[in-house]
Amino acid sequence: MSENDTALPETTSPGRAPQQRRVVIVDDHAMFRSGVRHDIGPFVTIVAEAEDVPSAVDAITRTLPDVVLLDVHLPGGGGAEVIKQVHATHPDQRFLALSVSDAAEDVIGVIRAGARGYVTKSISAPELVEAVGRVAEGDAVFSPRLAGFVLDAFSGAIDLASIDEDLDRLSPREREVLRLIARGYAYKEVAKELFISIKTVETHVSSVLRKLQLSNRHQLTRWATDRKLV
Amino acid sequence: MTLDRLDAPAPRLVVRLPDQGWLGGVCAGIAAYLGVSPLFLRLIFIVLASWRLTGVLAYVLVWLIVPLMSDAPDAPGLDAHRRAGLRPQGAAAQAHGPGDWGQLIALALFGSGLVWIVQRSGLGLPTNWFLVGVLASGGLALVWWQADHASAKDLKASDGPFAWLLPLLANWTTALALGVGLLAGASAVVLTAMLLPLGEGAVASRTLAAIGLALVGLAALAAPWLLRVRRALVQAREARIVSDARADMAAHLHDSVLQTLALIQKQAYEPHEVTRLARRQERELRTWLYGTEVPMATLKAALADAAQDIEDDFPVNVEVVVVGDAELTPQLAELVKAAREAMLNAAKHSGAPLVDVYAEADADHVEVFVRDRGRGFDPAAVPEDRLGIDKSIVERMRRHGGTARLRSSAATGTEVTLEMTR
Repeated sequence: MSENDTALPETTSPGRAPQQRRVVIVDDHAMFRSGVRHDIGPFVTIVAEAEDVPSAVDAITRTLPDVVLLDVHLPGGGGAEVIKQVHATHPDQRFLALSVSDAAEDVIGVIRAGARGYVTKSISAPELVEAVGRVAEGDAVFSPRLAGFVLDAFSGAIDLASIDEDLDRLSPREREVLRLIARGYAYKEVAKELFISIKTVETHVSSVLRKLQLSNRHQLTRWATDRKLV
Repeated sequence: MTLDRLDAPAPRLVVRLPDQGWLGGVCAGIAAYLGVSPLFLRLIFIVLASWRLTGVLAYVLVWLIVPLMSDAPDAPGLDAHRRAGLRPQGAAAQAHGPGDWGQLIALALFGSGLVWIVQRSGLGLPTNWFLVGVLASGGLALVWWQADHASAKDLKASDGPFAWLLPLLANWTTALALGVGLLAGASAVVLTAMLLPLGEGAVASRTLAAIGLALVGLAALAAPWLLRVRRALVQAREARIVSDARADMAAHLHDSVLQTLALIQKQAYEPHEVTRLARRQERELRTWLYGTEVPMATLKAALADAAQDIEDDFPVNVEVVVVGDAELTPQLAELVKAAREAMLNAAKHSGAPLVDVYAEADADHVEVFVRDRGRGFDPAAVPEDRLGIDKSIVERMRRHGGTARLRSSAATGTEVTLEMTR
C-alpha cells in the first residue's frame, strides 16, 4: 500500500454538497494524481489515492467513496480488473474512467466492466468536477469520443441471431442524444435542442450505458477488435 | 453464453485454441469463430466419428490445416501496457473447471457408446481396421498434443552428472505420452501391413509396404515438430526486427520528444507557443504509440489532418469524432475543405478554446458538424469582403451537390452543418 492512502473519517449523508463528495483517485502516475488533486481538490474531498489494482481495491473497499476516478491502464490487469474485484463485494460502487490512450477496445472494455462513464485526461477541471457529480448521482457521463465509439459500435445491420433485440438496438431518441453529445453538446444543450428536460437526457444516456454493458451484440466485441484506432 | 466469453476478442480467421480445448483446440477454435458453443461442435465430431471414424479423420485434417492462435502485434504503447499487465490479458489463460471435466467424461462415455452400437450393428468398419484406425489416431493425437503443449515449458539449466536426464524427468508426462503415442503408431503400421490383402506368400511386398507405411507414419507424427522448427526460424527473424524497432524507437524519441522539449525551453515565455508545441508533440506521440496507420484516402484521415493543421496554427483544441468512414472521393475532398474552412473560422474568430468536429458517414450520405462555444456572430452582418463563409463553405458545398447550414448566436456559439449525398 502506498503512503498516500490517507483515509478520512467516513461521512455518509445522502444528497451532500459537492465539496463533501468523497473521491478516490486511481492512477499509476504520481504526477497525474497530484495534477488531478490540484485541479479538483478544492471542489471535492479526496479520501484516498492508489496506484495499482490491489492498492486500489483495498483503498476503495476501505473508504467506500462516492466516485472512483479510475485510469483505464493500471498495473495488475487494468481498470476493468479493479471494477470486477470491487463489484464482487460492493456492486453499487461508482466508477468514472479516465484515459489518455483512447484505444477503443480498452474504453469499451472498462465501460462493459461497469464504469459509469468515460472522459479523456485532457478534460478541464470544472468539467471533471461536473462529471464526478453526475456519476455520484448515478448518471452516466459520455464524452464526445465515447458517444462516437458507441454510435459506431451500434451502427450497421443487426444480425438476425441476436438474442435480445431490445438491448442490441439504440432507439431513435437515444441515437439523437448521442449524436448531439458527439457534436460537443453538453447535456443542458442537448435538452434545449430536443425540447426535453435534462432529466430525460440523463435517462437516455443511462439507458445507452445499460445497453452497452449488457448487450451481447456481436458487433460490439467484433468492432472493438477490428479497429484499434480512435 | 456469458459476457466474459464475449469480451474476449473474436478471432477473424479460424485458429486452433489449444488452451481452451481438450485435444488440439479445433472445436474451441471453430466455435469461437462461429460464435456457437464448443460442446455443439464436439458432439458433431463425436457423432461423425462413430460412423467408421469419419469424424476422427476430419478432426485430424482440420488440426493439420488450421494454424495455431497467434497474437497479432498491437501498437507499441498498447503492447507495452499488455506486457506490464496494465490491460486485461485476453482469454488465453482459461483453466478447465470441474464442470468441464464432467462434460469431458460425459462426451467420452457417449462417444464410446455410439461407437460400440455402430460396431455391433455391423455398419462400422471391420474390427481389425477399426483397431488400426483407433491406434493410429490415438498415437497421432498423443504426439501432436505434446507438440502443442510441451513448447511452453522451459527448463532451468543445472549441472551434475545426470543433468542430461533432467529434461526427461521434469517432462515425464511428455516422455510417457510420446512413448505411448509412438507405440500406438507403430502397432497401427504393423497391423496394417499384416492386414493388406496381398496373398499368402508375398513376404517381400508385405515388408516393403510396412516400411512405406512406417515412413508415412513418421512423417505424420513429425509434422507438428517440423512446423515448430519453421516457426522458430520465423521467430528469430522477428526478434531481429524487434531489436531494429528498438533502435528506431530511440531515434524517434530523439527526433520528436527531445527536440520539442528543447524548443519548449527556448520559448518558455510564450505560453501560446509552448501549448502549441506540447499539443503537437502529444498528438504525434499518441498516434505513434496507440494509433494504427489510417490510410490517407479516407474521410476520417482527411478530417483529422485538417484538424491538425488548424491546431498547429491556432491555440485551439480540435476534437474530431468520426462514425463510419468513406473513401475520399473528389466530392468528399471538397466537403473536407469546407469543413476545414469552418474549423479555421472557429479558431480565428470565436475565441473558444475547443472546436468539436463530428462526422457521420453511411452508405450514401455524409454529414459533418463543426461547432464552437465561442462568441458567435450574425451571418447577415458579415462584411462583403470577408469571403470565408459564403465562398469557401456555402458556395463550395452547393457547387458539389451538398448543402451548408449555419447557426450562430452569442449564447450558444456557432455550428456549421455540412451535408452531402455520395
